[in-house]
Amino acid sequence: MTALLRATGLRVAYGDVRVLDGIDLEIARGEFVALIGPNGAGKTTLLHAIAGTAPLCGGTVDIAGHDLANAPRGAKQAIGLAVDPPNLPALLTGRECLALFAGARGLPVIPPATLALGETLSLTHVLDRRIASYSLGMRQKLGILLGLIGEPPLLLLDEPFNGLDPRSALAFKSHLIATIARGGASVLLATHSLDIAERHATRVVLLMDGYVRRSWDAGELATMREHPGLSLEKAMAEACGP
Amino acid sequence: MLPVNRVTQSTPMSALWHPAIRADWLVLRRTGANAFVRILGAPALLLACCVAVACGDFYGGYGWCLAAAALLALGGGHAIVYARWLDALKRWRFGWCGALPVGLGATRSTLLLVTTAALLVSLALVTALLLVVSVSAPHRADLPYAWAGLELALVVGTAAAALRALRTDTGVHVADGIREPLFALPWLNDPRLPHWLDWQRRAVLVRWRRGGGAVMVGVVLVGVPDGPSIPMVVALVLLALSWTWLAVVMRASADATTAAVHLLGAAPLDMRRARLASFRYPIVAAACALVLVIVGAILGGRAAIALGWAVCACAVSAWPLVRILRATRSPESSA
Repeated sequence: MTALLRATGLRVAYGDVRVLDGIDLEIARGEFVALIGPNGAGKTTLLHAIAGTAPLCGGTVDIAGHDLANAPRGAKQAIGLAVDPPNLPALLTGRECLALFAGARGLPVIPPATLALGETLSLTHVLDRRIASYSLGMRQKLGILLGLIGEPPLLLLDEPFNGLDPRSALAFKSHLIATIARGGASVLLATHSLDIAERHATRVVLLMDGYVRRSWDAGELATMREHPGLSLEKAMAEACGP
Repeated sequence: MLPVNRVTQSTPMSALWHPAIRADWLVLRRTGANAFVRILGAPALLLACCVAVACGDFYGGYGWCLAAAALLALGGGHAIVYARWLDALKRWRFGWCGALPVGLGATRSTLLLVTTAALLVSLALVTALLLVVSVSAPHRADLPYAWAGLELALVVGTAAAALRALRTDTGVHVADGIREPLFALPWLNDPRLPHWLDWQRRAVLVRWRRGGGAVMVGVVLVGVPDGPSIPMVVALVLLALSWTWLAVVMRASADATTAAVHLLGAAPLDMRRARLASFRYPIVAAACALVLVIVGAILGGRAAIALGWAVCACAVSAWPLVRILRATRSPESSA
């Protein structure tokens, strides 16, 4: 399979604290990679490093054949990063924010697919309200829509199910799985929900102390699903050590 | 367990100081010089402008310059103190420390102590600046009047702002009630980055409301007794309002641009397009402000001098445009 994302030797530091210490990661088209790890492992930082929103101390990121450092627009055209709820602009309405993102992606209008997903997530009725009045769950849904707008081939999602009501979480999960199944996108999902990772991911990567500690491929995950005595939770605990 | 020397001792709650002030101070120190420039920049610029306007009397003998300088100190001091008090009151009430058991007395006393210290420093700075600029001035005899006028204006402006902020309900969102413009100019919005301009315009409105923009008219009118003619008062109002408004437009537009670029950090944003979109609103606002400045200068007589001062003041207010240029710098060109 062709590599959609190729990150090599990624290093990120905040002051003296080294958060990512030489990460190598490849994602092929149609893959669903779950990124797991304890708090402070560097999951969010890795997503932002790939998206170009965290400054790199070293390493390279290549997305769909575009080097992120030398051709950021080409690389960013191929990624969609769900926006963190606190970063949404309080002074705009949800629809205005979607239109701004559509414009930044070179789309003349908000794509119907985005509005349809908004309807599925029960967000349509608040789209013309200022974001300042949104609840955490509404902001989370809007952040997801902003990440998915224009159907980029690589989706970067950081705990997207946080704050979603069970119905919306199920609807989004189904949408994500259907999109991957029809080859519409690859997904890199940072999550603490081990059940989602174990059930739906094609690969799980355990990040610890700034480097990849262990990864489980599709075959190992299939074995875990088949044997009741095995689980990703146990495997992760073993990999993390005492 | 942590070693004994690594255990952080908590500071006991004080009835005089809000605990967040220590955290704010630590954040400020760790953010570096830029944070200090952002905080001290506006007051320093205001004091410098007041003293510069007073020079019109010291060197040119234009007595009205002292009144204008005092009005500027009054209005500017009021706007800066009011905005910062509201910001602190809102952050301390609804921010990370909002649920701490801190009495209103501690909040008030902290703000009063910090403001008093800042006011004393400002008064000393104004005194020093006035002494320096008037040392060889032909109208040095007016120094006591300039000194008394500016110091009194700063004290009154600060006190009024503190009282007003304490009476303001910080629970009310200033962003609420922002309506679409009465005379919308659809061509002004960049169709390829829709609502970028709306974001800037709303940010300006929020800041204008928080800075007590409407108060400026009253300040100018109250500050001018029955001496000058009506056209002179109108001229002062126009000059003060247009300058204040322009400064607010520039700063809020630059802040909104920085926030928009940050928000769209992972999107394939065309930075050249973003820069053009970011300049539309401030440039149109500057053109409108300059029209008002010219009308004010003509009404006030001595048009050339007044216009010169006003254009210089507007040019100084336009420094946030540099921040827009920096925020929309193309990553390709910096790579």
